[in-house]
Amino acid sequence: MAPLKLNFDKGTLILQNVPDVLQLQLPDIQWDERTLTFRAPAYRYRSIVSQLRANNIPYEDTARQFTVKTFTNQKHVSPYPYQSEAIDAWHANGQRGVVSLPTGAGKTFIAVLLIAETQRPTLVHVPTIDLMHQWYEVLKEHFGQEVGLYGGGQHELCDLTVTTYQSAVMHAPHYGNRFGFAIFDECHHLPGEQYQYGAISSIAPFRLGLTATPERVDGKESRLYALVGECCYEAKVQELSGKTLSPYRVVTIAVDMKDTERVQYETARKTYLDFLKRERINMGTSSGWKTFLWKSSQSEAGRTAFKAYLTQKQLSFASTTKQEWVWKLIQRHSGDRIIIFTQDNDTAYQIGTRFFLPVLTHQTKLKERNAFLNGFRDGTYSILVTSKVLNEGIDVPEANVAIIVSGSGSVREHVQRLGRILRKREGKQAVLYELISKQTSEHYVNKRRRQHHAYQTKS
Amino acid sequence: MLTKDLLRYRIQKGKIFPQFVDPTDSKLLAIADQLISVFEESQDKPRATILEASKHVIDTTSGQLIIKRGFEKLLLDRTEFDTAPNEELIAFRHKLFTETSRMLSQERFQDYADYQQKVSQIVGNEGVLEGNGLGDKLYADLPNCQPVLSFRRISAEHLLHRYNTAQVQGLLLHCNTLTLVLTESMTAELRQLFKYLRFNQLLSTIRKEKTTNEDLFHITVDGPLNLFYKTKRYGMNLANFFVAILHQPKWELTAEIQFRNKQSCRLILDDSCGIKPISQQFLAYIPEDIHLFQEMLRNKTDTWQIHPGSQFLPLPGDFYCFPDYQLIHSSGVKIAIELFHPWHQGHLLARLNTLAEHTDTPLILGVSKELEKQQIIADALSESDYFSQFGFTFRDVPTMNSLLPILNSLVDTSEGKLTTCAS
Repeated sequence: MAPLKLNFDKGTLILQNVPDVLQLQLPDIQWDERTLTFRAPAYRYRSIVSQLRANNIPYEDTARQFTVKTFTNQKHVSPYPYQSEAIDAWHANGQRGVVSLPTGAGKTFIAVLLIAETQRPTLVHVPTIDLMHQWYEVLKEHFGQEVGLYGGGQHELCDLTVTTYQSAVMHAPHYGNRFGFAIFDECHHLPGEQYQYGAISSIAPFRLGLTATPERVDGKESRLYALVGECCYEAKVQELSGKTLSPYRVVTIAVDMKDTERVQYETARKTYLDFLKRERINMGTSSGWKTFLWKSSQSEAGRTAFKAYLTQKQLSFASTTKQEWVWKLIQRHSGDRIIIFTQDNDTAYQIGTRFFLPVLTHQTKLKERNAFLNGFRDGTYSILVTSKVLNEGIDVPEANVAIIVSGSGSVREHVQRLGRILRKREGKQAVLYELISKQTSEHYVNKRRRQHHAYQTKS
Repeated sequence: MLTKDLLRYRIQKGKIFPQFVDPTDSKLLAIADQLISVFEESQDKPRATILEASKHVIDTTSGQLIIKRGFEKLLLDRTEFDTAPNEELIAFRHKLFTETSRMLSQERFQDYADYQQKVSQIVGNEGVLEGNGLGDKLYADLPNCQPVLSFRRISAEHLLHRYNTAQVQGLLLHCNTLTLVLTESMTAELRQLFKYLRFNQLLSTIRKEKTTNEDLFHITVDGPLNLFYKTKRYGMNLANFFVAILHQPKWELTAEIQFRNKQSCRLILDDSCGIKPISQQFLAYIPEDIHLFQEMLRNKTDTWQIHPGSQFLPLPGDFYCFPDYQLIHSSGVKIAIELFHPWHQGHLLARLNTLAEHTDTPLILGVSKELEKQQIIADALSESDYFSQFGFTFRDVPTMNSLLPILNSLVDTSEGKLTTCAS
């Protein structure tokens, strides 16, 4: 009988000449009537091959389009003990799995060491263009060889390539068989409805997930573990604070609104809440927001309520008093490296134009965003204003002060923002300021958020 | 296309009904006209100005807001903005921020006004921008300030049809599998449909159903991963494919629509929905490759004529394919050709499997040399008796040198037996 054949097709595996006895045994294979072949999702490659080997079944593998490569780490830096432990744990877990470490604890370095150990062409997945460029620099610096970029208008594949999750979903059906090692940075994004198909469409047998917070509100971390491997190593921010992370403190500043703004806020909030009540919309349910959007578009009163919603939100996010506090804090930390975070782009540009500061949002063009980040790193710019694009991953060791003018309220976001200032430097004491408008919904959201362990510092 | 918040639909007993607008509704046509005027006069104007003008139309006309915002979104999709970076402004920002960073790190200010005044002085001295109103100009290259480069014109009636099309496309974005029932009546449209299908990297199964009056073809369309997941991964491909369906004279579509965290519901639609396709369909147009093929054929022989594929070809096992070309010999023998390009790996393997041990099918397979480079394809071709008899490879386009010997051998061996090959 002809040997079993394994081939890659648009993010799936095509299996031919499958012996009857194996048809029920191989994981996830199904008969595809459209092509008259057996088919399996690409990520099952490793388990299928393992099973074929275990049963001594001969097979021809044309799916795998990668070979062993030599990647030499040119920077000789010793890992911290916990980094070595994470590496050992990943190997012990069958060279797959999620490593959960706080921001600033050197997750990227763990990945670099593992690339050098596994010696397989590697595809790194990241959520943002900024992170893509950051990884590009890190890999280039460590391995001194060409690094490909796939995403944000770039389409170059090399043995070491960095891509965005979004690009991977679109293009993995074409190149998903060219990499033996898949790294998923900020991997809590991976279980997203679409993003997961980047991992599903890849045959990479070796997989590493990196995150500070694998848990998801929707509980879909189980999907992450199914596609990348179980969480094999975890350390919390408090365990590393003062050792490998900078010591830090969180200062919450409750600010009053100006009288005129308070009146405006109360009026707008009442209009908004009255509409919710009248229309029996429960914003506590998962469909609350959608219902509000729908109903507010149906009538004049609805449109007024929607405008009122925006007004009260905007006032709590960016009241005049908050702006005055931003000025005070900028003055207080003259000489420090400060990141100012806002919830929305409008507020970011409002602060940027008021204080004549660089603003980095998703609207900033690539060349200028690189100039802003490099300028901030080398001290040309001491302050950077941003909305959400710097929430994750961006490595700015020099930053020691974060001012949160407004945020989404999620614990993950605040922990990530805190992470931006925790990277250790000699003598550094990081401080995170949260500006919270008194007697607004922001106040209660903050109260809930503070129950997270990252807030339970000794200082 | 329309975003989910702009879709209008009703769900009843597991079925979803898109809420179309009446393309002859005079009030809506008037509103569409007004909005189109705003966009037609938008050349060089910044995005914010266009949006303000269209908002004015939306706010001052009667009718449902969601429909008017839908029109606006579709018109914005037809508008190209100048997104090139403003290098002069970028250079100015760099200079200004370097200076403000230095000032904030090294100098003390009595208050914010003092700081503002000092910054204005610096800017004034630079002479790049006036100190007054600096805040407004500092980020004057944000999307809202980008000017319009061009707008693809559309009539009010077409906009209403486009709106109805977008209502269906918006639902198909949330769909995993689509089933289409077609009659075989109009072959040029069908050819276009299958080109769309392949272009969108979709897979299909075609089954024939005989009714008393006519043959119906059931075509199930989805993507490779649909075998394992109810994924909406191919929603965009299916939404794009819908435009080709609209060109068919008689069709019926069934799709399972599932919004996030909601129960799935069924969309059933047919040609009576009244949506006119607004994309142009050049049915009389003969593609360039056919011209080239015809010319090459004329240079080599006058006994064969080539035509675009025009009919479903029955394959063994109750399957059908829709070939690219049909060649007709002066004796009346008809032979079909199906071409496989580098991205048709799965399709080719399927075809070879279907045709294995069925050498009486009058179908010639042309395989791109690029596709043949893949080991599995090279192996499959070398192992296929069918391909060794009825197949050839090509670089960019098929050549007569590789095709004619197969064609002639078929005529020689058939002695007229193949007269009804593709009919």
